[in-house]
Amino acid sequence: MSSLEEKINEAKDLSIQIVKDTDDDRLMTLSVGPQHPGSGHFRFVIKLDGDYIVYADPDPGYVHRGHEKMCEYRNYFQNIPHLERPVIHDSCNITYSYSLAVEDLIGITVPRRGQFIRAIASELNRLVYTLYWLAIYGIFLGHSTMFMWPAGDRELLIDLLERLTGHRVTHAFNIPGGVRNDMPINFKEKCLTQVNYFEKRLKEYEHIFYNNPLMRQRTEGVGILSKEDAIKLGVTGSVLRASGVPYDIRKVEPYDVYDEIDFNVQYMKTGDSFARAYVPLLDMRESCHIIRQLLDRTPESGDVREKLLSNVKGSPGESFKRIESGRGALSYHIVSDGTSRPYRVKISVGSFRNLLALPFLLVGSKLGDMPPIYWSLNYWPVEADR
Amino acid sequence: MISSTTKLNAKQNSIRISHNVLNSLVEKFSNNVKIIYDKHNRAKIMINSEHMVETAIFLRDNHGFDHVESAGGTDYPKDNEIELNYHLGSYSNPDLYPYVLILSTKINRNDPKTNSLINIFPSVEYHERETYEMLGVYFIGHPRNERFLLPEDWADIPPLRKEFRIKGR
Amino acid sequence: MGSITPDFRFGNFVGSIIQLVLVILALVTLLILPIIFFTLFFIPLPVIDGQVLTPYLFFSMVVDPARTLPIVQFLMHTDLFRAAVFPGFAFAALIAALTIYVERKLLAKMQLRVGPLYAGKIEGIFQLLADGLKLIAKEIIVPSGADKPIFWLAPIMFISTSAAVVSLIPVASGWVVADVNVGLIAAFAIFGFFPLITLLFSWASNSKYPFIGGLRALHQMIAFEIPFFLSALPVVILSGSLNLSDIARSQNLFWYIFVMPINAFVFYISSLAELERIPFDLPEAESEIVAGWLTETSGMIFGLIQLGSYLKLYALCGLFVVLFLGGWYGPQIFPPELIPGASASNIPLLKIFALDGLYNPITVNSIFWFTTKTFVIILLMLITRGINPRIRIDILLHTGWYKLIVLTFINLFIVLILIYSGILGPGGVISSK
Repeated sequence: MSSLEEKINEAKDLSIQIVKDTDDDRLMTLSVGPQHPGSGHFRFVIKLDGDYIVYADPDPGYVHRGHEKMCEYRNYFQNIPHLERPVIHDSCNITYSYSLAVEDLIGITVPRRGQFIRAIASELNRLVYTLYWLAIYGIFLGHSTMFMWPAGDRELLIDLLERLTGHRVTHAFNIPGGVRNDMPINFKEKCLTQVNYFEKRLKEYEHIFYNNPLMRQRTEGVGILSKEDAIKLGVTGSVLRASGVPYDIRKVEPYDVYDEIDFNVQYMKTGDSFARAYVPLLDMRESCHIIRQLLDRTPESGDVREKLLSNVKGSPGESFKRIESGRGALSYHIVSDGTSRPYRVKISVGSFRNLLALPFLLVGSKLGDMPPIYWSLNYWPVEADR
Repeated sequence: MISSTTKLNAKQNSIRISHNVLNSLVEKFSNNVKIIYDKHNRAKIMINSEHMVETAIFLRDNHGFDHVESAGGTDYPKDNEIELNYHLGSYSNPDLYPYVLILSTKINRNDPKTNSLINIFPSVEYHERETYEMLGVYFIGHPRNERFLLPEDWADIPPLRKEFRIKGR
Repeated sequence: MGSITPDFRFGNFVGSIIQLVLVILALVTLLILPIIFFTLFFIPLPVIDGQVLTPYLFFSMVVDPARTLPIVQFLMHTDLFRAAVFPGFAFAALIAALTIYVERKLLAKMQLRVGPLYAGKIEGIFQLLADGLKLIAKEIIVPSGADKPIFWLAPIMFISTSAAVVSLIPVASGWVVADVNVGLIAAFAIFGFFPLITLLFSWASNSKYPFIGGLRALHQMIAFEIPFFLSALPVVILSGSLNLSDIARSQNLFWYIFVMPINAFVFYISSLAELERIPFDLPEAESEIVAGWLTETSGMIFGLIQLGSYLKLYALCGLFVVLFLGGWYGPQIFPPELIPGASASNIPLLKIFALDGLYNPITVNSIFWFTTKTFVIILLMLITRGINPRIRIDILLHTGWYKLIVLTFINLFIVLILIYSGILGPGGVISSK
């Protein structure tokens, strides 16, 4: 048996270069910092040689609140409100995964009507998040109309969610055991009308925003992530699907009622910024189909929640569950020691995994390409910091 | 709409894949590998930290695990050890799409050092860096064992250790 | 807002108002009237009804209506009126203010929202006034290490250069502030100043983001100056003069845009780039470099630069109209007399309202058509803002240095062919000479 160093050397996989810092005085260091209209609550340092970026280093942690540590001090129900803060408008997804893992530990199943309502809320949240992402993409490209139209349409969907859950954002809707309350009486018809209207709007978006020659010029061929690199970097979500891997957790490992729904996984093969911007639009269309099927199949009556004690004890062991959120695979690894508080909660979010692609894609590109590349990676800074 | 026979097939498939992977591991590494549990689409194996790199190379080359879904650690002060977990997944082998293999090892809490898997799975770079700053585990071979998410002026013990108490609780 | 302050007494209030009135009266009598008298003694006054108008008679014009109109007419033809009021600074500033308001409302309607709504009773019409007052009241922050003389002077240079361009644009026949024989070249020369001012200001700001923005502005403006000049070249060839008023007058038969549509298009694109409007607003690219070279401006400096930008917009659209759209020519829609039969009547009030010496139907018609055409071009520039994202610097430079110059040459050859074949130009089939 060869020594450890030799084994490591044999397996060295150097096709992904780790970006090295340079000390050249000629380069200009820019801190695209947390207080910047072009970066959200996230800081990355880039070094410029004229107009070209030679070094990029992300520095997250501006909004790190320590959710994983806080989970160990609260019981399974008390964890829901603070766990949905990483993504406030996609909160039904980030608590969905947590609820699935906790239900696995406790050993219960959610009643059928509850499962359907969970799925409807999750898809609506996916629409709301992707619209917000599209709006900010417009700002990054300098297109103010591309900000206003999705933000306006998003308001109508948020009204729907307010009807369903009581909050516009941070819904606190998914809890271990099911959902907090039942659908209101007219919700089905209103949801159907809204989703049909929204699908027509998606056609207009494609026409006006995605067929704009200037937008195409700025995003096509920019920041190309090949399929092999995407797999090695371990990216997830729409970034992965834009590089040619048809991987969607709702299809490969269906959770709850997703194995009864008929939909396609949308993917593109080019892997540039335009593909990464186009795949979410296709995803939104699929979500509309999914919502219609879910609304059809929801059982008319039934429990939506499996009543549990508020300080329910989880059986000793661990559980790893993942779902597909707006950014990619969101997984929870919960270790329980038999008490009513989890022993360890490890959250793995799509944004954190996609962050690895940022320095890899930025090096060698122009400064003007920085906004399209950065935001097309579907990176939500607050979620990556947890 | 997936019928119940398809669901049954999927379940049998996953059992077959799981047995395939685990049996090959046991065959190659005999008593260095311990299977902790084998559930539907999830399996956990425990290895000594010296054999981590070989096992990772074996899994990557023979079965097609190519990325890490999540990587972190858990602190067990009672046993005086830290358990590291790597959740491996596969994007290139469609049979293994739904399967997640949890590769874990236990290291001594007083001298937490282990070999980094970064040269085998490049996607662990940021996860290992976060584990370094949150649990204090040093990864040999990782180019940047540095502070990542915590503020620049952090002067306390690694926060995910159990002796770190949140103030006021 | 709320109730009256506790120690309000009505007697004190009346007393303070009377005090204010007395102070104003004293000021006017002791200070302002003597100043007016002194200055009027030194201005050459016109001859009215066979006698030179003295300052005392000047003040009596409010009593005698027959003297009002000649005085107003005299004032309108002085140079000060032309430079300050019409067609100079006040007119341009008014159009600039209207442009800003229309831009905000139009963009809002395109983006499914409402725009300014609350300032002023009707649809937020006083929004600009409110913004101007706010900007005047804000603190001007000068960054540490900034080059103070240049930092304070550059905005003033910016707005005076914009005003200089405005002074060259003829609004009607004979109504131009500076009637220079090389008007077109003077306009282009003054435009060459703007990159310099931008670069100086961004350098004086002593910060990285303005620095990048200033360099981008420099690249952008210089890249588009050549297509700018070249697209106006056939106009000069066809009209035979560089004087802007003559160029406008030579379009009385047909507008030049019918002969050179490509050049008009190139001029339009180059003006969008010179004005730093979307899609060419790289120097102020918000998402990449915070606010570009405008990052360190605050308060009135920002206000002056914005006013200068919109004055430039009016000047460039005016230039477009003069060069390509026939200046002030249009069908005569104003009647020969405002109130028919008034000038021959005996009632003095009617005579005043007829605006006898003041109302020239041809001039008013010219002003109307010029303003309308300028507004149409301004609207075109505003609509482009709502549709497009921002362009990238290398695509911009490629467009400016390669594509646009080639297009202007194509049109130049077309015009030369038309001239040499005897259709256009002096002595041609369709010509005014």
